[in-house]
Amino acid sequence: MTHKLHIVHIYPNEMNTYGDRGNLLTLKRRAEWHGLEPAVHYYHVGDALPKQVDIVLGGGGQDSAQGAIQDDVLRIGDELHALVGAGVPMLMVCGTYQLFGNRFVTNDGQEIKGIGIFDVETIAGMKRLIGNTAVETEDFSTLYGFENHSGRTYLKNDQKALGTVTRGSGNNGEDGTEGARTNNAIGTYLHGPLLPNNPHLADALLTLAAQHAGFELKTKGLDDELASRARMAAVTRKY
Amino acid sequence: MRRVIGTAIGKSVAKAVKIRGKSSGQAMPGLVVETLIPGYLGAMLKQLPDGIVIVTGTNGKTTTTKMAVELLEVNGKRVLTNATGSNLTRGIISSVSQQATKSGKLPFDIAVFELDEAYARQFTDVIRPRYVLGLNASRDQLDRFGEVDTVAKFMGETMLSATDQLVVNADDKRLSAIAAGAKAKVTYFGVAPSLLRFFPRDDELVAVDGKQATLEAADVPLAVELLDFKGDAATYRIGKERLETMLQVTGQHNFQNAAGALALLLAVLPKVSPKTLVEQLGQVKPAFGRGQAFKLKNGSEVQLNLVKNPASFRQGLASYARKGIATMVAINDNIADSRDMSWLWDIDFSVLKEAEVEFTTGLRAVDMALRLQYDDVKVNAIEPDLEKALGAFCALPGDKIIFASYTAMMTLHDLLKRKAGKEL
Repeated sequence: MTHKLHIVHIYPNEMNTYGDRGNLLTLKRRAEWHGLEPAVHYYHVGDALPKQVDIVLGGGGQDSAQGAIQDDVLRIGDELHALVGAGVPMLMVCGTYQLFGNRFVTNDGQEIKGIGIFDVETIAGMKRLIGNTAVETEDFSTLYGFENHSGRTYLKNDQKALGTVTRGSGNNGEDGTEGARTNNAIGTYLHGPLLPNNPHLADALLTLAAQHAGFELKTKGLDDELASRARMAAVTRKY
Repeated sequence: MRRVIGTAIGKSVAKAVKIRGKSSGQAMPGLVVETLIPGYLGAMLKQLPDGIVIVTGTNGKTTTTKMAVELLEVNGKRVLTNATGSNLTRGIISSVSQQATKSGKLPFDIAVFELDEAYARQFTDVIRPRYVLGLNASRDQLDRFGEVDTVAKFMGETMLSATDQLVVNADDKRLSAIAAGAKAKVTYFGVAPSLLRFFPRDDELVAVDGKQATLEAADVPLAVELLDFKGDAATYRIGKERLETMLQVTGQHNFQNAAGALALLLAVLPKVSPKTLVEQLGQVKPAFGRGQAFKLKNGSEVQLNLVKNPASFRQGLASYARKGIATMVAINDNIADSRDMSWLWDIDFSVLKEAEVEFTTGLRAVDMALRLQYDDVKVNAIEPDLEKALGAFCALPGDKIIFASYTAMMTLHDLLKRKAGKEL
């Protein structure tokens, strides 16, 4: 029997600026290659979340798009908290990472409330932090990606980071941290997109999703030679 | 006086640069003149009796500028324009000083410039264009611009600087919203509602289910409407007339760009009949590396097609990719290409499944192959070296197509010019 895996992509039409569809495509294809039957659910403003949610993806968007989804994120905040508590893996990139934090303060001092899955706050910056990025993490070894954000995100209290930047700016360009991790939910500024270049992270998320769905994923050895070569090139890239 | 001195400086720097064989030569004279003689450009361009036209947009600037220039010329105008790739102010100053007489006169009636959207402001702050043509705003080089709204904002500043007339793509929601605030007269071009699905706007490019409703037609009268296209034939509606022509500039996106060029020409040349303009459009050949074809010594043809962002790659695939044509994809990540490879993930490559890809090449050959792997497109070889890949690719039998990012296209264009029997 093939196991079904329910992938929920939140706000795909608003939050999709930096190749975010690539993360979804990677999860979907790898799930298929591992012998699963992935079901992709697009979640739009005003919708109800699907009954079964095994993994949640969110992307980055324009500042204007963030305004359009902000109220809706607050509306489903409690449900998302419950899913995180139940161990559902999530990958929130850039704009959705910020909205999954406590708050975002814009240039003119306006405060946008987030849902606080990550104990972080983001302050708008003037200069965008843009470039190739590498991050050392505890559980997912080295991650390579590309960052492009003006917000500076600061971890509060004992919020865990996703990792430490060895190249690039990360959360704020000051303290060397990148992203945040709460239970199996990950917030990050790495796009590029993240998952095709870091297939081990994609498989880790799928494994966690399978656990939540109630079965054990036996990953097959997929041909990741191209990803390995792209990662090797990332190490030596000049700028 | 500054016209004479500035021209003399520009010409002598150009000469010096030429002698030393610098490849960056196009911008250098402009840089020197700009520094030494502020106000040179404004003083020079003021001489043009029919003023200045600026073409702005993410995609199609070069091809549309070429169409406008050639249609103006064939109708008896002497047209000053900027060389391909030098779309910054200093490139334009270089052009101006090269083409002026020693006494600082510009022997032209009108200028048509394509401007880089981020630098257009430097130009329009100095001299205001009489006409502006706004083509489209789409995600492009986001590692440079940040986001699409920023790109549109830059274009908006250029559009609103038009003194007489602004010509805008009615189907681009971002640009037509900006045009609503223009003081100059505004006219629109667009495509028939039944064709909208071929020309997705930025937000639709990446939109998923439930977004089809946004494909409604624009609610403004169109000066030029693309009614239909089939193969190389396009039908336009201008006023009440239906006019058909065969274009040499292929690709469905260029049928839309041509509608923009026609709408612009109607404004600049009100005395020329629409029928004549549409006929003349058929004579325009593709621009540098934009669907340009080369004849190889073995008798086959290779077409070089610039792809620089999701919209242009998507249009290129829709227009040219098919089974039976050998395909190569060349992707670099220099500043002019975009250092970020995210954009490759906003394109659906499944149309290449049947065609396969012979080579991926360029600095990001591996990343491109990785992208294709996720759409189940077979890649026969990865060769990052452009020259080696081109050599092996050209040796294959039959007709060929290359999709190349900006700097890869420039290199391949040079190589093909040397290699090919002749340009078509």
